[in-house]
Amino acid sequence: MSGAAVSFRGVSKRYGPVDALADFDLEVKPGEFMTFLGPSGSGKTTALNVLAGFTHATAGEVMIDGRSVGGLPPEQRNVGMVFQSYSLFPHMNVFENVAFPLRLRGVAKAEVARRVGESLDMVRLADLGGRMPKELSGGQRQRVAFARAVVFEPPVLLMDEPLGALDLKLRQAMQLEIKRYHAQLGCTIVFVTHDQGEALALSDRIAVMGEGRIAQVDTPDRIYDYPKSRYVAEFIGKTNILTLEPGNAGAVRIVELGCDVPAQGALAEARMISVRPEKIERAAGRREGLIDFTARIDEVLFLGDLVHYSAVLPGGGALLFQEHRGPGATVLARGDTIELGFLLSDALPVSGREAAATAVGA
Amino acid sequence: MLAFIRRTWLLWPAIGLLLVFFLVPSLDLIQASVMNPDFTLEHFERIADRKVYLAVFWRTLQVSLIVAFLAALVGYPIAYFINLQPRKTQFLLIFLIFIPLWMSVLIRSYAWMIVLGRDGIINTALLGLGLTEEPVRLLFTSGAVYFAMLQILLPVQIVTAYSAMTEIDMDLMRAARVLGARPWQALRRVFIPLSLDGTITGAIIVFMLSMGFFITPALVGGRQDMMLANLIEFQVERLNWSFASALAILLLLGTVLTVIVIRRLGNLITRRIA
Amino acid sequence: MTRRRHIFSAVLTGAVLGLATLGTAVADEIAVSGSGGVVAEVNEKYFFPAFTEDTGWTIKQVGAEAKRMAEIEAMVRAGNTVWDVSEISASDYPLAVKKGLLEPIDYALVDPDNKLPEMARKEFGVVAASYSTVLVQRLDKNPDGKKMESWADFWDVETFPGPRSLRGRPEYNLEFALLAEGVAKEDLYKILSTKEGVERAFAKLDEIKEHIPVWWTSGAQSVQLLSDGEVFYSTTYNGRVGKLQESGIPAEIIWNGGALHVSHVSIVKGSKHIEKAHDYIRIRTTRPDLELEYLKVLPYPNFAPGLFDQLDEAQAKQMPTYPANAEMQFSANEEFWADNIDWINERWNEWLLE
Repeated sequence: MSGAAVSFRGVSKRYGPVDALADFDLEVKPGEFMTFLGPSGSGKTTALNVLAGFTHATAGEVMIDGRSVGGLPPEQRNVGMVFQSYSLFPHMNVFENVAFPLRLRGVAKAEVARRVGESLDMVRLADLGGRMPKELSGGQRQRVAFARAVVFEPPVLLMDEPLGALDLKLRQAMQLEIKRYHAQLGCTIVFVTHDQGEALALSDRIAVMGEGRIAQVDTPDRIYDYPKSRYVAEFIGKTNILTLEPGNAGAVRIVELGCDVPAQGALAEARMISVRPEKIERAAGRREGLIDFTARIDEVLFLGDLVHYSAVLPGGGALLFQEHRGPGATVLARGDTIELGFLLSDALPVSGREAAATAVGA
Repeated sequence: MLAFIRRTWLLWPAIGLLLVFFLVPSLDLIQASVMNPDFTLEHFERIADRKVYLAVFWRTLQVSLIVAFLAALVGYPIAYFINLQPRKTQFLLIFLIFIPLWMSVLIRSYAWMIVLGRDGIINTALLGLGLTEEPVRLLFTSGAVYFAMLQILLPVQIVTAYSAMTEIDMDLMRAARVLGARPWQALRRVFIPLSLDGTITGAIIVFMLSMGFFITPALVGGRQDMMLANLIEFQVERLNWSFASALAILLLLGTVLTVIVIRRLGNLITRRIA
Repeated sequence: MTRRRHIFSAVLTGAVLGLATLGTAVADEIAVSGSGGVVAEVNEKYFFPAFTEDTGWTIKQVGAEAKRMAEIEAMVRAGNTVWDVSEISASDYPLAVKKGLLEPIDYALVDPDNKLPEMARKEFGVVAASYSTVLVQRLDKNPDGKKMESWADFWDVETFPGPRSLRGRPEYNLEFALLAEGVAKEDLYKILSTKEGVERAFAKLDEIKEHIPVWWTSGAQSVQLLSDGEVFYSTTYNGRVGKLQESGIPAEIIWNGGALHVSHVSIVKGSKHIEKAHDYIRIRTTRPDLELEYLKVLPYPNFAPGLFDQLDEAQAKQMPTYPANAEMQFSANEEFWADNIDWINERWNEWLLE
């Protein structure tokens, strides 16, 4: 089985005055793992429902494998789907649940048994074919739902917050499983989640969504390293947003730090910069080019290999930074005053709304 | 022992109520049916000897089964339709369906006389259209009994089936669709099997209520539309408590056994359909 | 009588009744169980005030129609009699007597001057009303110039075609069938006392069976059937016919061959106010002035002395005990029915199912 391309061309969905999805353009490559990431109400589920055929777009075109599917009911789109609540049929046992799409497609009895067996093998539930859904654990149900969604080898697999109902440990285990299935099956996966960690871990590319629009589409590392907007920067990982204003001749002023920096390149035009917490370090070494400032430690979150700090800036704002515990590194305490700094090259100009708050974690 | 008490004491009032108002009267009933004043089976022998009692028992069973079946058949699509409506409309429709329940059975039975009678709406229409020369006998027939009982009991069926349907996760229908089921296939293989249980429960309630009916059949039925409850009522009026008890036990046993059979059958059908 | 089966229900019923009356059971009050509706209104308007005037006591009226006998039996068994006086219908009287549910009447208290006729004086009750089960015809449904006059006419479906109704019980229908066959009313119960006689009545009923689409179960239903034109001829209670006529239905009673019944007021066994109960019964059964008011509502006269002297002729003619009417009817033998209803009713139901 191989994946099919999925295209959204100018897709909009209006509910009365509300744009659930506006001018949605996206090309998903065959076999790609594409994640729609965003908070609730961002349009990610609407986009998925339009693709599955549960909702009809108000405008635009959806194509699977180059064929427009806008006029097709869900059952004719030949996509697999895994639901957040699993949606296993409670009156059928595991085998019958997985066999369901095959029986609808008129697959011969022996073939049904073989393919259901293969699918259950893949999700390591070969022995549980006779169980009823209510007799399974959450993780097992999730795997049955997956087996059912792929047993008929759909070129496109849709997953709607599939791990949302699982606890953290199970979720991490299932992420690895899903990666394995994807490698094994090669189908195109469109995955919807509000969990940025999940998105970063699984995806080939991520479409960050907000207010019915795509904020940015890119690979996980580029989304993380080069967020285009404050919205993306804040949604993916943790970051510090600092405000810029025109400073003395040829310089811009970082308002929260009260220092001027040279207005080189993009900084000249920018209103805000984003600095990731891990890019901020103790400034004791006086490294070349480091923008340094004094801050007072307010909160300490000790994670073993990592330490997260929240510090108060002289101007009153707060700043997040984190350190790996290298050899001989001391852990700072609440109330300590410390010199911090970051490289200007790690300060990324971002667009978006300005606000007094500086640090937001997603 | 103490732990047992601590674990169960909240249940005791309920158990006590059941004992006082259900179990004791039931035992009382059984005892009454076999004592006169010493142990005797004479009442049951009389039931077996005189053909009228078993004949009426079978008739009662038959009428109740037919009404329950019709209620399930007619009530299902109505409940389904209500379940498809927006929440507000659902409440309104359920409210409307409840309205006839507040009307006395007597008044509703008279209402059927107005519809089905010699000078009733249907006959007036048939005569007016020249479809018949003489009024057709619609009233005082077994058909009228089924019709009237169905009308009276349908709300019970609809509400029971509907409330079971609201429990069904409609995402299952979407799952079925995206997995390749056409709308009617999703209905048949997912929705119907899942809603059948509630529908059968509704039919069972209708059946049980039907078994105790006697006013409506007497008012709109013919001379053969006798129900076992009519015969029990006569014995109570005569203060023949023992014999009335024996008949009541026949009714109770018949009801319980039939309910068990319906349940079994229902489970079988549900499994078949799925 | 000592069957234990009833102890529980009786105690429970007694307890519930006791509780129900606990709050209201005041001294100087007796409880009277009667019919509801217009009868209750007349009682409250005329008989009860007269009782209060006479004795200084008041009356609480309890309506209990269908389950009256069961309730009386329960309270008597429980030894907690909360009704002092109860109406006892014609058909219930023999059963109530047989089951020992009633106190004997002391006629020295009810009728000290010995003015009530013998037929009004029963050992365990005084006649409070007389009524008839009569045949009623819709004059507008009769063939031109013809009128039913007897049970033979009711059976004559050639001359009088059209749907008919009878009560869905054997009582009096067997008598009607025998009358239709030409049996003299004096011989009715002699014939019915044998199995052959009963079968003879059923054989006659066979002839009419298919012409009776509906067998009524309540007086209200019987007049409704006549009123709706569902049937053209039906038995009913004579007191129901007035209302039917007032509503514009040309209905007429055929007194000939009617069954005459009497119903009673009795004292429930174990009453704690036996003397006052007698007072009420006296006022209920021997005061023509009050009974006249009652008759304005229901033509169910009792045997209060001089009652008919005070009725005008037109009103008197509506009464089942008006001599010309009474003469054409037969007295229903309630004792016969009490003794035989169990087996005849089984036969009757089997006959209906045939």
